[in-house]
Amino acid sequence: MSKRLSKILFLLAILVAAPFKGFAEGGDGHAEEENLDVKEIIFEHLGDGYGWEVPFAHAYRIPLPVIVKAEDGKWFCFSSSSLSKVESVEHDGKTHAEAVPVVKTIDRDGKTYSFVIAHVSTHKDKVVQIFPLDANQEQEVAKEVAAAKAQGPVKGGWPVIDGYVCVDGVYYREYRPLDISITKNVAALFISTAIVLLIVMSLVRFYRRRGLKAPRKGMGFMELLVSFVYEGTIKATLGENAKKFAPYLLTCFFFILIMNLLGLIVIFPGGANLTGNIAITLVLAVMTFVMTNVFGTKHYWKEIFWPDVPLWLKCPLPIMQFIEIFGMFTKPAALCVRLFANMMGGHMIVITLTLLIFIFAAFGAAVAGATTVVSILFSLFMLALDVLVSFIQAYVFTTLSTIFIGMAVEHGDHEHAKEHPHTAQGEADAAEAEAQKERFAKEAASMDLK
Amino acid sequence: MELFTPDFGLVFWMFIAFILLFLVLAKWGWPVIIKSMESRANTIDQGVEDARKAKEQLDNAREEAKKYVEEAQAKQAEMLRDAAKMKTEIIEQAKQEAAEAARREMDAAKLSIEQARKEAELQFRNEVGKFSIDIAEKMVRDQMKSDDAQKRLVDKLLDEIEKN
Repeated sequence: MSKRLSKILFLLAILVAAPFKGFAEGGDGHAEEENLDVKEIIFEHLGDGYGWEVPFAHAYRIPLPVIVKAEDGKWFCFSSSSLSKVESVEHDGKTHAEAVPVVKTIDRDGKTYSFVIAHVSTHKDKVVQIFPLDANQEQEVAKEVAAAKAQGPVKGGWPVIDGYVCVDGVYYREYRPLDISITKNVAALFISTAIVLLIVMSLVRFYRRRGLKAPRKGMGFMELLVSFVYEGTIKATLGENAKKFAPYLLTCFFFILIMNLLGLIVIFPGGANLTGNIAITLVLAVMTFVMTNVFGTKHYWKEIFWPDVPLWLKCPLPIMQFIEIFGMFTKPAALCVRLFANMMGGHMIVITLTLLIFIFAAFGAAVAGATTVVSILFSLFMLALDVLVSFIQAYVFTTLSTIFIGMAVEHGDHEHAKEHPHTAQGEADAAEAEAQKERFAKEAASMDLK
Repeated sequence: MELFTPDFGLVFWMFIAFILLFLVLAKWGWPVIIKSMESRANTIDQGVEDARKAKEQLDNAREEAKKYVEEAQAKQAEMLRDAAKMKTEIIEQAKQEAAEAARREMDAAKLSIEQARKEAELQFRNEVGKFSIDIAEKMVRDQMKSDDAQKRLVDKLLDEIEKN
């Protein structure tokens, strides 16, 4: 134990020493800090990308397919590696590799299609199709640029003009194509899907092979999770309907859980901020919305359009109806935003804490050293907390979905709905007891015979 | 604001991935797991119940066995007592029978001895008679050798007759 402790202390010491070393080598780091765009770094980490960063080599990306539909309706599919190239950039007397966007031109049917990852554009970091400007457009652009520059200094030297993109100082007309590229997030999504499939199917395989044996270790943990969600939430809430909705809810739980946890891993198979992306949580919430309303019973719809409230609340002015219909949409919307905000918040805090190191580096080596230790400790704490949050949010999403579905599939009278599973259970128990009695009678008889 | 606008491509792929995952798992995944878990839970419950019943039965059996043993012991004791009684009875009877037999033997022996004695007596008497007759004959023959003696006898006999 003490050995481990001393190791940890040693690592901390290195962390403190690291900035000193950096300063010793780099001379003054001030020039770099001036360029440090915290917001951009955070957004880059939270956002999507067309390639997947190779671990520990920021400029290099694992190429992923880009699939876009051009303005004239033709589909194009090419590697994301052709949209950027790695260049050595001289910076403060040091050269380091940096990814630079490149225009990808494709000739098809005598026409030339050009695509580029927009930088100075309203569609920042997205693939856009570009067209050279005609005379009118050129005039308009020149006017806009002049107007923007008149207002003050422009970041990067080129103002963003709606509908146009600036590539290496030249403006083009841009068209944002329909984009179903396999981006970093989509790839991570597929990896998550594969992991969930692998986990569940391996558990299935275990049951198929071993029958009634209880799984141990990892699979035992998986089973624990399944039974935690199924027995604890789904069965407890839905009762007799549990089997019908369990596949959806369990899929939700494991999918979200794996995506959450994968997002916490910094390098390749993870690192994509999936559940912190509103597109993902939106789809999940829409699924729950669909499940709720498709399987809604007569009672559920009655509660919406003719709830049990005083007549004046619903008759001439449909106040309650309005509130109920509004509630139909707010419930899944809350699901969507809750998961998204929690996960994105967690990621953002960790990144910000890490960035603190670089921000405070401007105040000198000692401050940077101290900040490093504090930041790393805080980031570690936050990551540990995020692991917890990953579980909790997956569980909360599943539980709330279960409750929403439970409310939708509820039948009219509450007592009946609640009693029914019990009586069914009781009957089953009685039948079982009866069968057992018979069995024992038989056994006793056979023993007597012996 | 870029973070708050869902990207179409991601929505599209997420939809496809989720639907596919859901369909595959709903068909081949979860039902098997849930069924297996439930059947195992049922088996365990059944096992516990069986064990409880078996224990109950065992306890009952034990009690019954104890009862049987006690009964058997009682029976054994009784049987032993009976046997002892019977033994004494048999011995007694045997003794009596033996005594009877002995007595009968003795009686028979006595009878035969008596008979033998009587026979012997009779024989003896006969013998003695014969001997005495012989002796008397011899004596008579000796005494009656002379006519004198014969005459004296006749006289004596006659005297006796006369006296009578």
